[in-house]
Amino acid sequence: MRWSNRGSSSVDGKEPQLETAPDFPSRQPIMGVVVRRVRDGAITLLIVVTVIFTLAHVVGNPAIAYAPIDASDEEVALIEHQFGLDRPFTVRYFEYLGDLATGDFGESNWQKRPALDAVREAVPATIQLTLAGILVAGLFGSVGGLLAGISPNSLFDRVTNFFSVAALSVPNFWLGLLLIVVFAVNLGWFPTSGRYGWSSIVLPAATLGIVHGGRIFQLVRSATVEEISKPYVVVARSKGFSMPVVVGRHVLRNTGLTMATTVGWEYVRMWGGAAFAIEYVFAWPGIGLLMINGANRQDFFVLQSAVIVAGAFVILSNLVIDLFYNLIDRRINSAG
Amino acid sequence: MFSFRNKSIVKLAVILTLSIVASGCGSDSEVPSAAGSSSAAATTAAPGTTAAPKATAAPAEPAEVEPLVIAVGTEPSTLDAQAVNDRNSRVFTANVYETLLTRTADGELVSGLATGYEAIVPNVAPLVIAVGTEPSTLDAQAVNDRNSRVFTANVYETLLTRTADGELVLGLASSYEAFDEDTWRFTLRDGVSFHDGSAFDADSAAYSINRMLDEDYETQRSSYIKNIVGAEAVDSSTVDIHTNGVNAVLPMQVAQLPMVPNGAGAELNELPVGTGPYMFDSWDRGQSITAVVNPNYWGLAPSIQAFEIRVIPDSQTQLSALQAGEVDLILDILPEQTELAPAFKSVAATEFSFVHLDTRKENLSDPRVRIAMNMAIDKELMAETLYGGFARPNQAQHLSETMLGYNPDVKMFPYDPEGAKALLAEAGHADGFPLTIHVGVGRYLRSEESAEYIAQALTEIGLPTTVKLWEWNEFRSASRVKAPEPEAMDMAYKWNSNEWFDAARMTSFATIGGKSNKLWNEDVTALFEAGAKTLDQEERHRLYQDAWALIHENPHAIYLLQQDLIYGMSERLDWDPRLDDEYLISGMSLLS
Repeated sequence: MRWSNRGSSSVDGKEPQLETAPDFPSRQPIMGVVVRRVRDGAITLLIVVTVIFTLAHVVGNPAIAYAPIDASDEEVALIEHQFGLDRPFTVRYFEYLGDLATGDFGESNWQKRPALDAVREAVPATIQLTLAGILVAGLFGSVGGLLAGISPNSLFDRVTNFFSVAALSVPNFWLGLLLIVVFAVNLGWFPTSGRYGWSSIVLPAATLGIVHGGRIFQLVRSATVEEISKPYVVVARSKGFSMPVVVGRHVLRNTGLTMATTVGWEYVRMWGGAAFAIEYVFAWPGIGLLMINGANRQDFFVLQSAVIVAGAFVILSNLVIDLFYNLIDRRINSAG
Repeated sequence: MFSFRNKSIVKLAVILTLSIVASGCGSDSEVPSAAGSSSAAATTAAPGTTAAPKATAAPAEPAEVEPLVIAVGTEPSTLDAQAVNDRNSRVFTANVYETLLTRTADGELVSGLATGYEAIVPNVAPLVIAVGTEPSTLDAQAVNDRNSRVFTANVYETLLTRTADGELVLGLASSYEAFDEDTWRFTLRDGVSFHDGSAFDADSAAYSINRMLDEDYETQRSSYIKNIVGAEAVDSSTVDIHTNGVNAVLPMQVAQLPMVPNGAGAELNELPVGTGPYMFDSWDRGQSITAVVNPNYWGLAPSIQAFEIRVIPDSQTQLSALQAGEVDLILDILPEQTELAPAFKSVAATEFSFVHLDTRKENLSDPRVRIAMNMAIDKELMAETLYGGFARPNQAQHLSETMLGYNPDVKMFPYDPEGAKALLAEAGHADGFPLTIHVGVGRYLRSEESAEYIAQALTEIGLPTTVKLWEWNEFRSASRVKAPEPEAMDMAYKWNSNEWFDAARMTSFATIGGKSNKLWNEDVTALFEAGAKTLDQEERHRLYQDAWALIHENPHAIYLLQQDLIYGMSERLDWDPRLDDEYLISGMSLLS
């Protein structure tokens, strides 16, 4: 690991917790970091907007999707006019950017209301699902990975390792369907789908948690295995410190960054699409379902709004993760 | 309650006594004598309770009076009252057996052996129907996709409607007629009100139709307002619908024009108001829509008190929800899923699959080539293998037997690959030519598999065919292009549905000006146009039959199958699927 190599200079038998780091650059002013990252995020978002707008308008014609199947050319033309599609692409694009700047995300042709209303209703469900999912994934991956990593090739390691590889190898929707059949249909412990109370989040969160936790497990485990084979651990052990003490005081400090990185990264992956497949399987009314409907109906303003909001969450999550690093590890210079 | 019972016994006794005096023996007309004597009984029994001791005393001393004799024409076959119900038996059994409830002499239902009674309405959980896509709006006039109609058709109503087997009948109209060349006149049912309490009258009916005609109103039901110019109220219960010339299909169109309150606007998107048997209750976006029974409904009260439309996008999850007892009805299941569902029913849908041929493509211009292509396909095999038997070969006319315009003389093209090859050779195509079959994916059941089979079957008669798959919306755009444009498709795999139960639904395919036409036949066009302008139904029937006969000699399609719709159902749901792809909760009931 990039950071732990630099950080392992403390292996000299001193009490590591007394370690100071005089040779590190002084920390950047945090506000400066935030401003720069927000600026970068805004540029990224503009690219996202442009790509999704272009893709959506190149791929299809929403008037065709809306019109009855035997509609005449005149009927289609009328719907194009009603939807404002009879104006040039560039006009529509810059008009859209201008509207976005004023907080207007456009009107849904199908829902006949502001597209942002639809997204605003759906976002809490997605936040809830992804947070529950990352909680499960973080516990399974971090705790499991750490325990497996400190005793490589033990029975526990082999069993959990097998399960984590299996978990990250299966498609998440397939695992979701499997859990539904076992725990909802056969055992009847949880509802199959929907968002009707605490019990309905268990299966979708477990699905996300298992798949993403499997990946966290792998990275945390290998980081831990690498860390405990380092000389400082051997020295500490030879001085009579028990394994839990060594791990708790020293190893965890270095693998902790790996955990934070992978947990953060997996959370971003959920917003990048993984959670949306789970929403579809479990009929979880989040923005993933909204995107799928928006794409099928070519209801562009809903699709675009959902993608922009999801993109914003990805950028925001990355920002939070960066700032978090900056706080927990002074060696990382987020401005860099 | 006991007093009721006593009173009825009193009356019975009085009637019996009077019968002796008044009619003696001989009478076998039980009802008139009972009715006639009841007024007499009223005077005798007028003192009420004071008469009771006297009357009860009468049967107490049977020995002093000769027994009453009643003659019957037929001897009761058994004296078991539960077994028989003919009048001759009842003359005896009704005096020997009693029932929990009984009737007074003038027919009022009163307590018999029961001291009181009440209907215990079981607390049945609402009916739940799963849909794959959430309705985008609850304004029935705006949308027409099935997932929306599952809700809107139970809340809104139309002037004319259809029975479960597709017959067009009166809905909110009490009568209608073709008033003159370009006017249809509808008389409206009295005493109907909207869920918001406002009256359904000619103003609201006219408003409803004019709202859909508005240029700025976005609606998917545009094919149902074609050739309608406007509507106006003649008086409070009469509305005229003006058409663009003679419009013979107007009644069928009207059956798809939902009635909304006068002046209703965009609020219907979220707060639907109709006249139907169910009223909107709640909408949890992305999840479910609920409705409750309308207590003021003008028609028969439905047995199901409330229903919920639940959004479950994934079809596998829908089946799981059905198995887990969370939902009662899912709209499409695959043939192989029928054994997994708690119960299922299927119905021959009004949907027909076919391969649309562009007759202006040079290689396809000879009708013999198109007939040969029809003969290359084993439809029975497709129905049995690809659809597990839940389909049947189409009789070469996009119609089923009961629809207007169906021609029983037009028969399915036989499966005869050798004959097909001979016909191709006769048409000068012994060496064959390459073809492409275009398919929009993800829309119709087994569309890709069907196209693969067709391509293989055509290749076997010497027409090497490849399959090209399209994203659905792209396919819709691209398939609108026609020859002689070079990018026009040779062949496109399509379905059409005929929820009009009428050949007129195929007009856009059959007439030269029609959007989907690839036939370009003037005679067929003339027959279809005449059908649209003819009000006499027999005459229309004949015109369309003639058109199918012509099309049969010059087919514009490879006719494939008429598909079944298969529904997964819970064990408690009692319902016979309708032919018209509508889901009316009022026609369903729940066994508890």
